[in-house]
Amino acid sequence: MSSTLSYVPWTLKYKPKSLSEIIGNDDAKEKIINWIQSWNKGIPEKRALFIYGPPGVGKTATAEALANDFKMELVMSDASTYRTEETVKRFAGRASQFGSIFGRRKLIVFDEVDGITGSADTGGLSEIIKVIENTRTPVILIANDAYDPRFASLRNLCLLVEFKRLSVTEVMKHLSRICAKEGISAEEKALRFIAERSNGDVRSAILDLQALAQGKSKLTYEDVSWLAQRDRKEEIFNVLRTIFYAKSATSAKNAVNMADIDLDMLFEWIYENVPYHIKNPSELAAAMDALSKADIYRGMLKETGDWSFLRYIIDLMTAGVAFSWSRKAAGWVPFKFPERIKVASATKEERKILEEIGRRIGKKCHLSTSRSIVEVLPYLRIILLNNPKMGKRIAKWLNLDEEMVSYITKMA
Amino acid sequence: MWTEKYRPRTLDEIVDQDEIVSRLKSFVKAKNVPHCIFAGPPGTGKTTAALCLAHDLYGENYREYIMELNASDERGINVIRETVKTFARTKPIGEVTFKLLILDEADNMTDDAQQALRRTMERYSETARFILIANYSGKIIEPIQSRCAPFRFTYLPDEAIAKRIRYICEKEHVEVMDDGVEAILELSEGDLRKTLNILQTAASIGKPITADLVYAVVGKANPADVREMMLTALNGDFISARNKLRELTRKYGLTGTDIIRQIHSEVFRLNVPDSWKVKLADMVGEIDYRLVRGATEEIQLSALLAKLVEAGYEIKKSVK
Repeated sequence: MSSTLSYVPWTLKYKPKSLSEIIGNDDAKEKIINWIQSWNKGIPEKRALFIYGPPGVGKTATAEALANDFKMELVMSDASTYRTEETVKRFAGRASQFGSIFGRRKLIVFDEVDGITGSADTGGLSEIIKVIENTRTPVILIANDAYDPRFASLRNLCLLVEFKRLSVTEVMKHLSRICAKEGISAEEKALRFIAERSNGDVRSAILDLQALAQGKSKLTYEDVSWLAQRDRKEEIFNVLRTIFYAKSATSAKNAVNMADIDLDMLFEWIYENVPYHIKNPSELAAAMDALSKADIYRGMLKETGDWSFLRYIIDLMTAGVAFSWSRKAAGWVPFKFPERIKVASATKEERKILEEIGRRIGKKCHLSTSRSIVEVLPYLRIILLNNPKMGKRIAKWLNLDEEMVSYITKMA
Repeated sequence: MWTEKYRPRTLDEIVDQDEIVSRLKSFVKAKNVPHCIFAGPPGTGKTTAALCLAHDLYGENYREYIMELNASDERGINVIRETVKTFARTKPIGEVTFKLLILDEADNMTDDAQQALRRTMERYSETARFILIANYSGKIIEPIQSRCAPFRFTYLPDEAIAKRIRYICEKEHVEVMDDGVEAILELSEGDLRKTLNILQTAASIGKPITADLVYAVVGKANPADVREMMLTALNGDFISARNKLRELTRKYGLTGTDIIRQIHSEVFRLNVPDSWKVKLADMVGEIDYRLVRGATEEIQLSALLAKLVEAGYEIKKSVK
């Protein structure tokens, strides 16, 4: 696959060409088909259709597929074009009166009607009303919310069709169809995860699927589960931004309530990111000092079980850090995932092995576990690497098993 | 490991601690041992002396009569109360009427644990004698000290260590150059355990032991060192310094106390104005104090690194 091709968004590549390919909202589709067919018997009572519903459920795709199925010429306008009285007239005025040059019927679509703003698109809405009142060809309006007060008079002229959020099963059906075409074998659990977090928005689900699965032959649950962390990150980033660039001590303190984040976790996030934001040596030292003091109160809390220390921990880790520096951003600085958590979770097992190795060395060499790790292990590692025969003999004498030996040699 | 293979088994095999050995021999002769404190720097033969004493006292099966504990691993009061009591309260069978309890790294015990230990020592002194091993006897509480016979171990002289190196090399059929011996002496700083670990590791390479080989081996054993971390911080790069700190604790298993001790000894070797050395020592002390109270070692040590960044900045300003 060429590199340009691979950048085609799957939302485009797999855009439904026919109504039959559009998943879900069957009632709405039926209503639309009946309405379009009624045009064959002359101009119907409602000359316009107002399709509304949440993003990514197939509203625009339906209009496009409809034009395709009924061999109509699509005339489309969306929020990217200004919709003043003038432009609407130019765009739809003539089209609504005459057939296309090839004798095909036209389908006029005003997409993203919510995007028509009062000031920039002066007279746009009232001109659309005029177009609908006089049109001799079908008109479709698309918006997220048909019940916006601005659309009151528009609504009366239109047949309202609601598109609902897709169910998880429906989104999954669409995703697995794409996977089949891309030659990806995907775990059901993985697709379910993407579908669930899309909240019925099939477009975002497809974009996620592409980001995660493109170029792979297999998609597992592990591949997708980090998305949850990404969602979480945004939330944490907001808290961090509020703390690091706090306007007042109180707003810094209140940031801990912005999201449901474990305080110890938040502490690690702040600690990790202090040096990336606070560069001035004295300010950095002051910020780290605030964290050091917060940590002392953490120690007190742990030791005494007295939760009243919590307030000082929060004060110091939020306002304490914020007011140790000028809070002037030096350009955009991304927030980093706490190294300590990454490593701690990855090496909890390793730490256990390391300690067991230290314990076994200590037993034979009359040393404490920690001194064995510091004073003996580094030499043992070099021996194992350079003279495996001697190393293995020593390892055997120390009662170290295979796993421990391979752990030691990989430490370098 | 050569540290164990060449560890003396009997008091007679111990070299260069003549005064200590002769006092211990007199205990063996009398078949009576008081509570003792063996104090002195690492690798000077404290544990060895205790084990040799036990060997000479009880014979080949001495292990049945002794208990070896390391206070750093099991420093809780409960261990003292339970394990030690259970061991100490029964009388051994045989000529010697007491057991021997060897408590290594006793200076790492909390004061509470030491108080508990003191009562145990008094209560069971008929059936058990204690040998407390420590780097600093000053960290042992006064009431225990006053109940113990003190033994002061000092660094072994270079000649004695050099002799030991050559003796082992002969036994192991390893060729060692004079400059190799010199390098080992320099790097091991009078610590015989370190000496043997360096020697065995250098020998494992399979080439004649030269100074270059010794430095290479030791360099590999300590790739990221505390001094480098400090210099990185003093030069203003906090993030790299913090990464080095993480390497030291995670990869090499150094504890906060290990690191702070090394930082402190490096402070006075730094190329900074003397007035700053005092200020830096004060900062280290402050963090050492917080380390005891705090919940997370890395946070406290990072705070110290940030202080070093600030100090480095100030020093540069004052020199200009």
